[in-house]
Amino acid sequence: MTALVDVQNLEKNFPLTGGGNYLALKGIDLEIRKGEFISLIGHSGCGKSTLLNMIAGLDLPTSGTVLLEGETVKRPGPDKMVVFQNYSLLPWLTVRQNIALAIEEVMPDLGKAEQDALIEEHMEMVGLTQAATKLPAQLSGGMRQRVSIARALAIKPKLLLLDEPFGALDALTRGNLQEKLMQICNEHELTAVMVTHDVDEAVLLSDRIVMLTNGPGSKIGGILEVDIPRPRQRLTVVHHPSYYSLRSEIIYFLNRQKRVKQWQARPHKVLARHGLEKVNLDLGFIPLAACAPLAVAEAKGFFTKHGLDDVQLVRETSWRGVVDGLVDKTLDAAMMPSGMPTWMTAGGHGSEPLPIVSSLTISRNGNEVTLAKRLAEQGVSTVEDYRAWLGSHEREPHRIGIVHPASMHNLLLRYWLAANGIDPDKDVHLQTLPPAQMLADLKDGSIDGYCIGEPWNFRAASSSHGVPIVGDLEIWSGHPGKVLGAREDWAQSYPNTYIALTKALLEACRYCADPAHWAEMSELLSDRRYLGIKADLIRFSGQQGDSGSFAPHGEPHHLFYGAGLNRPSRSEHLWILTQLARWAEIPFPRNYVEILERVCSVGVFSTAARELGLDDVSYQRQGIELFDGRPFNPEDPIGYLNDVSLHRDFSVAEIPIGQPRAISV
Amino acid sequence: MTTTSPNPTSNAAGPLLWWKRNRKLILPPLFGIAGFLLAWQLSASLGLTRLPGPLSLFTEQRTRELLLYPFYDRGGLDKGLFWQTMASLGRVAQGYFLAAVVGISAGIAVGLNKTLNRAFDPLFQFLRMVAPLAWVPIALVIFQKNQPAAIFVIFITAVWPILINTAEGVRQIPQDYHNVALVLQMSKKTFFTKVLIPSALPYIFTGLRISIGLAWLAIIAAEIVMSGIVGIGFFIWDAYQQNYVSDIVLAVIWIGGIGLLLDRLMAWIQSRISPGQ
Repeated sequence: MTALVDVQNLEKNFPLTGGGNYLALKGIDLEIRKGEFISLIGHSGCGKSTLLNMIAGLDLPTSGTVLLEGETVKRPGPDKMVVFQNYSLLPWLTVRQNIALAIEEVMPDLGKAEQDALIEEHMEMVGLTQAATKLPAQLSGGMRQRVSIARALAIKPKLLLLDEPFGALDALTRGNLQEKLMQICNEHELTAVMVTHDVDEAVLLSDRIVMLTNGPGSKIGGILEVDIPRPRQRLTVVHHPSYYSLRSEIIYFLNRQKRVKQWQARPHKVLARHGLEKVNLDLGFIPLAACAPLAVAEAKGFFTKHGLDDVQLVRETSWRGVVDGLVDKTLDAAMMPSGMPTWMTAGGHGSEPLPIVSSLTISRNGNEVTLAKRLAEQGVSTVEDYRAWLGSHEREPHRIGIVHPASMHNLLLRYWLAANGIDPDKDVHLQTLPPAQMLADLKDGSIDGYCIGEPWNFRAASSSHGVPIVGDLEIWSGHPGKVLGAREDWAQSYPNTYIALTKALLEACRYCADPAHWAEMSELLSDRRYLGIKADLIRFSGQQGDSGSFAPHGEPHHLFYGAGLNRPSRSEHLWILTQLARWAEIPFPRNYVEILERVCSVGVFSTAARELGLDDVSYQRQGIELFDGRPFNPEDPIGYLNDVSLHRDFSVAEIPIGQPRAISV
Repeated sequence: MTTTSPNPTSNAAGPLLWWKRNRKLILPPLFGIAGFLLAWQLSASLGLTRLPGPLSLFTEQRTRELLLYPFYDRGGLDKGLFWQTMASLGRVAQGYFLAAVVGISAGIAVGLNKTLNRAFDPLFQFLRMVAPLAWVPIALVIFQKNQPAAIFVIFITAVWPILINTAEGVRQIPQDYHNVALVLQMSKKTFFTKVLIPSALPYIFTGLRISIGLAWLAIIAAEIVMSGIVGIGFFIWDAYQQNYVSDIVLAVIWIGGIGLLLDRLMAWIQSRISPGQ
């Protein structure tokens, strides 16, 4: 496979009428192999058509080059034929004449008979032989676009460029034409680039999907490989396991772009008031029962009480949204899985290490492993049953849903599987899915089960699509669930705000721990702004600090407040680091002492607790011990790692996180 | 002449139905024209104006002869109105043809080339505003003879709408068509015949239709001041000199009728050549 088209460091500036320049595209690098179908997707005005025009040679880049078979594209030509969105047929020529014109111009040396044969062949290919003598005005939009495709294919281009070819068509016609195009591309091994903003169209047709970020200065935000085998059928493609994850990936990307755009459109003045450096905060969260303290702090006025006058709770659909929000600074702070601060600090999110600080553990427990009903029907009710069942069903893929690699769900599930002799990477496949999608996937059978927080286990059980198999109380009772996380540079810049936020949430946690408030909390969380489901599906119960007895399966058991529950614990974060390294999510940091010291804002927590008069919660917890009884010695994490029976090839490396710094202005 | 009563003799349903449907379209113009002629005749009869009334076309013997015998030819300038008109139309045809050729070619050049457009557009806009009558002395100075001067006046009056509309038509060719031409690397000749002309044709015809009216207006202006030539314009001037006022009225009616016919003719050609555009 050689690169047919090579786009190198492309940049495009448009002069503005009022003077100045609009930077449309910047730093675009893309290689297109022969026979590949590429989609360019992005919001309107992101420059995807501009990119297509530059590949076509209709527009020239300000800098950078486009190479077609190693030669710079300087002008348009029939070797890179374009199918335009508005068909661009000449209205005074018939269907036949339109196609003939292209052939006569591009292949003048061909004999008349051969030209005629080509015309007939391509009219037949798109099924328009009957309409040969009609004028474009007499045809429907779909038929016109078919003529346009026939005209483009008739001249045998090396590269077919399609600019939202089906954008103006009704759904039925669009579907038929997509199938037709797919079939033609397969038969003729065409190389094609298509601009679209239809997500399903992109997944259906493409080998790779190139996602462009918003302008100005749009760049490639990500490239997705579509691993669905060809030939594809619309109806079977939607059942392919990759289909929905690709689709949700693109939709996540587009939504993210939209959110960033909205965020950029708002004014972002830092409001300082009441001796706090910043009182207008955007706090990210995910709709889970564990977000109760945030909702309570908002509804009960704890934020305002501590001077934070303008706190916006920003609902994200997946933890990735929280990560991206912190990376691009659209969020001030967020509720996050307890593994996320160290994971991001160690650069687990795939870019530069980003130091994250945490001053509060918001919740503990509340997670469970649910298996699909169909497994229970085959007699799977314990982990031993599941192991045996996996052995007898080796051929099928076995997927278990998790919400995020750095979430406690992933780490506990892996620990539990590994301790029970199931390799979490080889025997099963753990797949990251947005929480809201888990239940749907469980229903249609594309996953065996999932590990997640409430209300999703109770929902699966109450709708009898799934059966809880093990609760986190049986794996590690009292494990940290969700924590408050913020960028270290943010915390350095707004130290008093950081304390105030910790105080507001700690007070909210105390409120949430009171059983008298649980009914009210369920009611509050059922609101559309939070979970948006029925209140009786959101339940709080449990044994406060009483790890002696387990709650029955399906019973939620969050801990929000108590002695030693809320204080950020270095040893817990260290255990998390060992587990992240064990499964090769990150290398184990040689400088782990420094990282833990920076991540855990123990001082901020202590200040907050003291100012609230809640000194009792600062009590240090006991050592860490999980269900298998293996002791964790915080003095020797690497020894612990080497000692566990099952682990990936982990590495130990220095993670450069620099000096603590405030936001540079 | 002024009768407005319909002829309801037919008791067939067809014509009656037709009349019922269309009388709202037919009656008002008939009433309008009749009223105008009546007011004119009254003002002439009552001596409010020295202009003879419409009835004078029949009462004056000279005029009646002109009206009834348009084809007579007694040699020299003494010819029937048909021949007078034909002579004028001949001049219009020459001047107009020249204007069409020059206007369309120059229009295409200006439409395709932005620099040319910037260079000449102010000049065109300026010259366009000069009245046909003002061109007559200039034309006479340039050509020294009546015939070429008259043709020049027609040309210079008719050329601007053709030129400006053609240029606009070329500029308005959709970018899509240009892109198609670029991608197919069309030859200049193909682009011209398959894209440019068909695309600009509606605009060109709009220009041609405006110009035919202007050209006909200009011929009268040109001929009135050029003595001793056969033509409807000079015929009016001659009649005025000799105080044959009712002849003038008749000639004016001819001029209006011919102008209307020319416009209809262009509209018809336009609808035939570029249907539905």
